[in-house]
Amino acid sequence: MAVIENNTLAYPVSPHANRGGLKAGQNRIGLLLLLPAAVAFAAVILYPFLSALGLSLFEYTVEMMEPRFIGFENFVKIASDPDVWAAFWTTAIYVALTTTGTLVAGLGWALIMNQPFAGRAVLRSLSLLPWVLPSTVSAFIWGWVFNSRYGVLNAFLMELGLIDYPQAWLSTPEGAMLAVVLTKIWLSIPLFMSFFLAGLQNLDKEQIDAARVDGAGNWAVLRDHILPHLRPVLMIVVVLGVIGNLQQFDTIYALTGGGPVRATTVLSVEVYRRAFEQWDIGFASAVGVLWVAALLPPAFLYLRMLVKGN
Amino acid sequence: MFDLSSRQAKIVFFAALAAIGFFLFFPLYWLVISSLKANAELYRVVPTPFPTMPSLEHFIRALTAGKLPMYLMNSLITSTCSAALVTLLALYAGFSFAKYRYFGRQPVMLFMLSAQMFPFGLLLISIYPLMSELNLLDTRPGLILSYIVFALPVSTYMLYSYFSQVPDELIDAARADGASDLRIFHTIVIPISIPPIVTVFLYSFMWSWNDLLYSMTLIVSDEKRTIGPGLLLTYLNEVNSDWGGAMAASLIASAPIVVAFMFLQRYFIQGVTAGAVK
Repeated sequence: MAVIENNTLAYPVSPHANRGGLKAGQNRIGLLLLLPAAVAFAAVILYPFLSALGLSLFEYTVEMMEPRFIGFENFVKIASDPDVWAAFWTTAIYVALTTTGTLVAGLGWALIMNQPFAGRAVLRSLSLLPWVLPSTVSAFIWGWVFNSRYGVLNAFLMELGLIDYPQAWLSTPEGAMLAVVLTKIWLSIPLFMSFFLAGLQNLDKEQIDAARVDGAGNWAVLRDHILPHLRPVLMIVVVLGVIGNLQQFDTIYALTGGGPVRATTVLSVEVYRRAFEQWDIGFASAVGVLWVAALLPPAFLYLRMLVKGN
Repeated sequence: MFDLSSRQAKIVFFAALAAIGFFLFFPLYWLVISSLKANAELYRVVPTPFPTMPSLEHFIRALTAGKLPMYLMNSLITSTCSAALVTLLALYAGFSFAKYRYFGRQPVMLFMLSAQMFPFGLLLISIYPLMSELNLLDTRPGLILSYIVFALPVSTYMLYSYFSQVPDELIDAARADGASDLRIFHTIVIPISIPPIVTVFLYSFMWSWNDLLYSMTLIVSDEKRTIGPGLLLTYLNEVNSDWGGAMAASLIASAPIVVAFMFLQRYFIQGVTAGAVK
């Protein structure tokens, strides 16, 4: 995708760089250079992936020495397991809310950060901070904000007269979902903003000036020029956002542990619990396979964009 | 981009700035402020907007009484090693993808990149027995190797994007002078690639430093535990919640990564957005 092209050119290489590659004959060296990464990839990514897919067809629990082949029995069990269905539903809600929320806030913040004003550079740098914090730290921050007894959120809402007494946010299903969703939106705004800002860099300013001369207002400029220009970036951001949100584990686990009861048990938490708390490896793998299936459509879209971009 | 000369436009713009800015920055402000409040002031139903009597007691306690320094050291060791390992692997693989034209290059590269989408939690299900088989469970090398999962695909792609822009003429000229490919790579290509290399190192360092899932599953003994699970177990366990300590320890644990990031953010953002968008 050409949108970000300027960025890589900011590195100190010739603008005449040729992407054609070297002449044939050195291919053996090329494969040799790839070998270490390929071995590492096969060992810690590909093999575990295939092995997990395979394990979904086995019964393998903590009491068993060897996995026992049971065909699709795990999937049959899943079909009648309301907990797994609930996890799918919870994941759908979580992904929808976080992706939409981050999209709106991230785009808004990028447009604001694209406008020249005093102190913008500092603000831009600072707004990247949530992105780099350890996930446990983000969970601590939001856990403290949402704290039932001493949390600043309760204090705020009471001050504004919106609630009469402190709410135990993390103990109610809706409150806990709100907390994990806000945490994730907060975490992802920097990344979304960076993508949008990169896309805004090569916006045609003369075209906008011309539109202004013709009497276009801010809203018209946004609707007719800026948003259409950002469309390709928007697609990438949505797809990457969905993939990331489908996979989110750390902040949810640290903040609510998937609770109260199962209110924030998304697929990642479900798989973790089945595998490492109940040690039902076969069943966990089967749920994981369905999780991968949910990831396939956005992953396919993403790859297609990459291939087109190349 | 927007014309803010009218009063109405100004109001909308600054209202949006204030709203999103508040959402982004208030939690960070609250983290810092809370870490500086003594317990008597911290645990109040109506909180004070800033500490009336700033106190470093939580920081002193975090650094002296608990195991935080040990967790930090463990994280430093595992993150540095895994970042170095990932960077090294991605360097050669990225160069190979960018400058050689062998059969299957494009599909292999796309496949490696798509692996970023294999759920980390699912991989862990089989990484766990694998590490157990290799006697690497509850060891630093085991965790370091597992961390390859997080960053190798994107790191390789980031370096591939960069190396693709290095002119072939540069390499061909050196080759005409009789230099071997490896020598060309080490003495000509790597020296002009320091910014992307540092970016990739920082990127993979960040993944390992910030990890909770793998560390809490693959490491059992406390003396090898990293900060992610370390913080969680120390400050928010079933028995007590030490929020002041949690805030101070959070700041200490975030400091190294934040400082590194602030110095390198320009390259970092270029690398990440270019790697994923192009």
